Amino acid sequence: MDGHSILVVEDNPDDQVLAVRALKSASESSPVIVLEDGQAALDFLFGNNSSQPCKNLDSLGVVLLDVKLPRVGGLEVLKCIRSSPLTNWLPVVMVTSSDEPADLLEAYRLGANSFITKPINYREFTEQMTLLARYWLVVNKVPKTGAVRSY
Amino acid sequence: MMGPWRYWRLKTKLLFLTLFTSALGIALVCAALIFVENQNYREQLNSIISSLDHIEIIQQACIYDQQGNVMASLASLDKRECPPVNRQLDIGFVEEVYRLLMPVTLDNETVGQLFLTSHLEVLYGHIRTFVFLATGIGAVILVALVFLALKLQRIVSEPILTLSQTAERIAQDHDYSIRAPVSGTDELGRLGHAFNEMIGTIQQQNRRIVDSRNSLERTVEARTSELSMANRELEAFSYSVSHDLRQPLRAVEGFGQALEEDCGEQLNETGKDYLRRIRAASVRMAGLIDGLLILSRVSRQPIESQTIDLSQLLQEITDELKDIGDDVPSEVHIQQGIEVVGDSRMLRVAFQNLLANAWKYSAHEEERVIEVSARKKGRWIAIEVTDNGVGFDMRYIDKLFVAFNRLHTPSEFGGTGIGLATVYRVVRRHHGEISATSKVGEGASFVVKLPVLGDGD
Repeated sequence: MDGHSILVVEDNPDDQVLAVRALKSASESSPVIVLEDGQAALDFLFGNNSSQPCKNLDSLGVVLLDVKLPRVGGLEVLKCIRSSPLTNWLPVVMVTSSDEPADLLEAYRLGANSFITKPINYREFTEQMTLLARYWLVVNKVPKTGAVRSY
Repeated sequence: MMGPWRYWRLKTKLLFLTLFTSALGIALVCAALIFVENQNYREQLNSIISSLDHIEIIQQACIYDQQGNVMASLASLDKRECPPVNRQLDIGFVEEVYRLLMPVTLDNETVGQLFLTSHLEVLYGHIRTFVFLATGIGAVILVALVFLALKLQRIVSEPILTLSQTAERIAQDHDYSIRAPVSGTDELGRLGHAFNEMIGTIQQQNRRIVDSRNSLERTVEARTSELSMANRELEAFSYSVSHDLRQPLRAVEGFGQALEEDCGEQLNETGKDYLRRIRAASVRMAGLIDGLLILSRVSRQPIESQTIDLSQLLQEITDELKDIGDDVPSEVHIQQGIEVVGDSRMLRVAFQNLLANAWKYSAHEEERVIEVSARKKGRWIAIEVTDNGVGFDMRYIDKLFVAFNRLHTPSEFGGTGIGLATVYRVVRRHHGEISATSKVGEGASFVVKLPVLGDGD
């Protein structure tokens, strides 16, 4: 599927394994990058130089961001992504365990592209991941990072 | 006005005042008259003696013989004729003069008569002097008495005045630390003491009221902070429950599924059955967690009241139920145009539970019939949800609305035991009431009564 990679920011090792398994079964060709917390995600996205787009962004198709993360929370990461012109185009799907209305509102206020709750039933979760990968990696178009760099 | 009299009784003081001023007045008048009379007497003596020399007060004198013939006469300025004595003569005070006619006797034999006419100037002079003096002295004494009375009345009036001024100041400033100055032990003194004591009691009571208000405020503050801390903790707790309790369940269910898919061939039927049970249990547990979260949410979230088209809301819920569906032919009759005032999210939760219950417990019937109707009674609107399901035993009605109490086994009907507790909580938060009636095997009927004006908290 187009070779775009998926960034999964998820602190729980069980959920990491289950997410990767579900995404692999949905789209075998797409590389899945797993990071454990918000700080790691920011380092990955922005690298050491905040004025140059990080090369990690080159092939990134979508970010699955858990709301509840240690140290730097998911909503905070979202805020950073949206406030930098280097990353504000990045599709971000917020993933959470609960449908806490406050989180939902806040996520959209900060500019999330999508918000999903992880269902208990793993089959449903796999279906969700399949839909998600198909939409964001195949249907949806994102600008090339080179184009972003030029403005 | 200090003095020994301050220990007298008020009655005595008043009596003393009245008697003293009157007696003093009388004494002064008497003294003045005695003095004036004394002076007059001296003057009279003088005048009698001098009258012999100064005969001019005698205007006319005539001496008559026995027959009434004028024997001799004396007349001053006006040379008046002696009046004939045989005529009836006016004697005594006549016009501006005093006339005197007296017989002249010699050896007890009347030999003639003497007629005298005298001026009244001297007498008038005396009267004028007397009136003048009496008026003058009276006025002086009156002024002195008024002055004295004014001085003396202070003995009585001063304490009353002080007391009333003190009372006014207290009433004006609300300063109950002010005390009336008290002197003496008379009625006014006692009044002052009683007044001070009363103010003291008021001051004490005020202090006690302020103290208890302060302590009440402190208590309320402490309770509020405890409560808000508990609320925050509860919120953090339910947030944590919704995130953290679910995660292990997802892992159990997810890896169970993965195990079945990836290593299914290595398990025999018993193993697969166990795996299914593990996964089903985690799904049930997730349902419980969801139920608890909803219960805690309807308990702590503020109510946002608005008018709700309940009929439409019930229709939406029914459509959802029909979508999940089962094979039982279902008839759901919802009365149109039911309007209530309340929090739409909470009421949706409540009626979702009621309708889902009606749906669930009528799943074993040949045909499912659910009816929702409403009627207004004064300030209340009663919404009734009836089904033709299995119903329940009225003996256990007490347990119906209590969380985690179930009237059916999981093998009969699944459920968490939280649904009706949530309904009860929602209705109570809307200041309403809920009741249920049923007969085993003949369906159940739930009546939700809500205030028409919707005065939720």
